[in-house]
Amino acid sequence: MSYKIPMGPYHPALEEPYKLDLICEGETVCDSKLRIGFNFRGIEHLAETRNYIQVVALMERVCGICSNIHTLTLCQAMEGLTGLTPPPRAKYIRVIMAELERLHSHVLWAGIAAKLMGFKTMFMTCFEIREKVMDVLCAISGNRVNYAMNRIGGVNRDISDPQAILKMVEALELEMAHTVIPIFTTSRTAISRCANIGVLTTEKAVSCGVVGPTARAAGLPQDIRRAAPYAAYEEMEFDVPVQPAGDVTARLLVRALEIMESCKILRQALAKLPPGEINTGDDKFPFTTGTATSRVEAPRGEVMYSVSWKEGSRTPSRVHVRTPTFANMPAIRWMVMGARLADTPLIQASIDPCYSCTDR
Amino acid sequence: MSPLESISEKLGTTEPWVEKGGVHWLPLGAMNVRELATAMNGLHARFVTITAYQLPKEEGFRLEYHWDLDGQLLGFSFPLADKSIESIYDLCEAVDWIEREIHEGFGLDFLGREYEPLLLRQGETPGVNLREEKK
Repeated sequence: MSYKIPMGPYHPALEEPYKLDLICEGETVCDSKLRIGFNFRGIEHLAETRNYIQVVALMERVCGICSNIHTLTLCQAMEGLTGLTPPPRAKYIRVIMAELERLHSHVLWAGIAAKLMGFKTMFMTCFEIREKVMDVLCAISGNRVNYAMNRIGGVNRDISDPQAILKMVEALELEMAHTVIPIFTTSRTAISRCANIGVLTTEKAVSCGVVGPTARAAGLPQDIRRAAPYAAYEEMEFDVPVQPAGDVTARLLVRALEIMESCKILRQALAKLPPGEINTGDDKFPFTTGTATSRVEAPRGEVMYSVSWKEGSRTPSRVHVRTPTFANMPAIRWMVMGARLADTPLIQASIDPCYSCTDR
Repeated sequence: MSPLESISEKLGTTEPWVEKGGVHWLPLGAMNVRELATAMNGLHARFVTITAYQLPKEEGFRLEYHWDLDGQLLGFSFPLADKSIESIYDLCEAVDWIEREIHEGFGLDFLGREYEPLLLRQGETPGVNLREEKK
């Protein structure tokens, strides 16, 4: 006899509210239904009532973890409509902020995954490291969460002492290389809780159109930083980690390897930070009528913004946001099918879902 | 032959691609969205999203479909005269949530599929256009 177990909208395993109705036979999940919308704020519609300064501050609040990515994508789209090109130094600072945000996001996820594995000491270790990443972000931007770094035509704050930031990054890299990475890749607790569960096959990953680490952990080597480079990524050398297994271990390994790749990019960007202005200096922007689209590789995968404007208007006529979790979350249905009920909290967390982004 | 030209050939159109606003646009003429989805599947393009626009006055709606092919973002525009268009959910599983979201937020119908509530609806309530003031 099958029965339904609701997980959420409020559940200890969920950072934010959403609902996963699990249809089970015994302890095995046969099917599931997902329901989102508990964080719906109508942000896309609200954006149509905000001017070109206010809309940047608004979209920074789509997500609490990857706030910088949202303003970066939005500003790149608006630069497409105004014909402005950020100076080289601004592009490098954008890369530095984006990679620090990726570190912050991946370490935060590692902590939450550790908690769901029942690995509380690892949870504490990850959150301690996350604090240090946030210290670096704060040292650059003056803020711990919404960094207010991006603007149309560049960035708002300079990095006056790249060597000081580089030292902080190197200390972080060392700590992560000695704690987070080896523990997650070799500890019995992590391996036994993650191996062969929540499998998303390559075929299903293609069919669902998943993005980011979820796609790369299913054998798909897709990364917008490599496929369609933006900011200064074309000048960075880095690898795109791919794991073929498609299980929770693969998602864990991809993120662990991406932490090291982010450190590699940060070292290059800080060492090669070009001199010059950090923005174009404009405070009035000649928007042309039309739509511009921008894509960025956020920590969870590809973010896309489509922004429409009418010449002479102070507000956009349409802002559409396609977030990575919106693309990844439907795949949870296939990941939990056939899984043990007790594994479902970890499986759903393994895509690093952001419900705030998804609902907008 | 460039990748974009090979797509044109596959789609059977001689219209030129136009790069605008970060997207490669191709006018499709009489081709419908299901034929397009079938062709995109054949090219192994990755579905990205659909963006819905409500046009001024009584001009209706426009849907822009986006696929990614090797890092190139492809765009195809479909004007809607009667608030409905054929669903491609059976051809492309990845459109499920965005079709449901557009149905709920713009009141547009994707013909040939059923909708589970996603963001805002409860039970059998149909989607509504949230941009229209409640009368």
